[in-house]
Amino acid sequence: MMILVTGGSGSGKSAYAEMRMSECRSLRKLYIATMYPYDSESHERIRRHRIMRSGRGFETVEKYTDIGSLVIPPSSSALLECMSNLTANEMFMEGGAGDETVECISKGILKLRNQLENLVVVTNEIFSESGKYLGDTRKYQKYLGEINTFLADAADEVYEVVYGIPVPIKRREV
Amino acid sequence: MEMIIGGAFQGKEKLARKMYPGLVWVYAKDASWEEICSSGGVIGFHDYIRRLVEEERDTSSLAADLIRENPDIILVSDEVGYGVVPIERTDRIYREAVGRVCTSLASYSTRVTRVVCGIGNTIKG
Repeated sequence: MMILVTGGSGSGKSAYAEMRMSECRSLRKLYIATMYPYDSESHERIRRHRIMRSGRGFETVEKYTDIGSLVIPPSSSALLECMSNLTANEMFMEGGAGDETVECISKGILKLRNQLENLVVVTNEIFSESGKYLGDTRKYQKYLGEINTFLADAADEVYEVVYGIPVPIKRREV
Repeated sequence: MEMIIGGAFQGKEKLARKMYPGLVWVYAKDASWEEICSSGGVIGFHDYIRRLVEEERDTSSLAADLIRENPDIILVSDEVGYGVVPIERTDRIYREAVGRVCTSLASYSTRVTRVVCGIGNTIKG
C-alpha cells in the first residue's frame, strides 16, 4: 500500500502521515529523512519533527539523494519526508541526479515500494502563487510537479491536507 | 467557531456575508485584538497574523487565545502556503505562522469551508 500526502506549508501533512503510519502493523517502521541540515532554520525544522516523532517507534534513516539504493529490512513500512527536499537535493547537490532528477526519483520510489509493506510519501504543493519564477526555480517547480503526478499515479491513496483536514484526492477502488 | 478559507480573490468575503447574514464583521488588517474578540466574524484573518509577525510578536498562543476569548467567531482567511519557500525571512515566518495557527483553529472549528472560484466546499463539518 502506498499513500501520497500533499498540501501547503505548515498544513499538518506530517502529523497526518505519521498518524497513517501508526496504523501500520509492520515489524519495523522507518522514517526516511531527506532534509539536509544546511542552516539554522532547517536544523530547527528537523528538531521540531524529531520531537513530533519521538516515542512512535520510528528508526530514522537519513538519505539525501539516490533513495533507490536504500536496502530495506524485511517486514518494514516507511514514511519518506519530504519529496520537495529530495527533489531539490537531486537537482542542486553535488553528486545528485541533476537533469535526471525526475527519472531517478521515480525509479527509486518504485524500488522502495516493492521492498516495503507500506510506503507513505509526504510532498508539497508549491504550484499556486503569484510570483513568476524563472530558471532553476521554475525548473524545480516543473520537476516536482512531474514527480508528484507520477507518485499520485503509483499511489493507492492520495490526500491533500488542508489545515490538518485530510481531503481525499484519490482513493483505492473497493 | 467556523472557518472560510481559500486563495486570494476567490470570493470568500462575499460567500461569508451570504452564509452569515446580519453578522458583525471586522477587517483584520486594522482591527484591534479587542475588536476581533468582540466581533461576530473577522475578514482577512491572515492580515492579523501578518501584523503580529511584522511586529516580531509570538503567534504560538494566538489560536488558544482566540478560542478562549471568542469561541463562536467566524474566520475568513487566505491560504498562503502553496508556493515556493519565500526568500525573505519574515515572509517565511508569516507563511509558517498562518499554517500553524489556522491548523489549530481548524481543529477546533465545527465547520471549515474552502472557497475556489467563489464556490464553497465543506471540507469539515
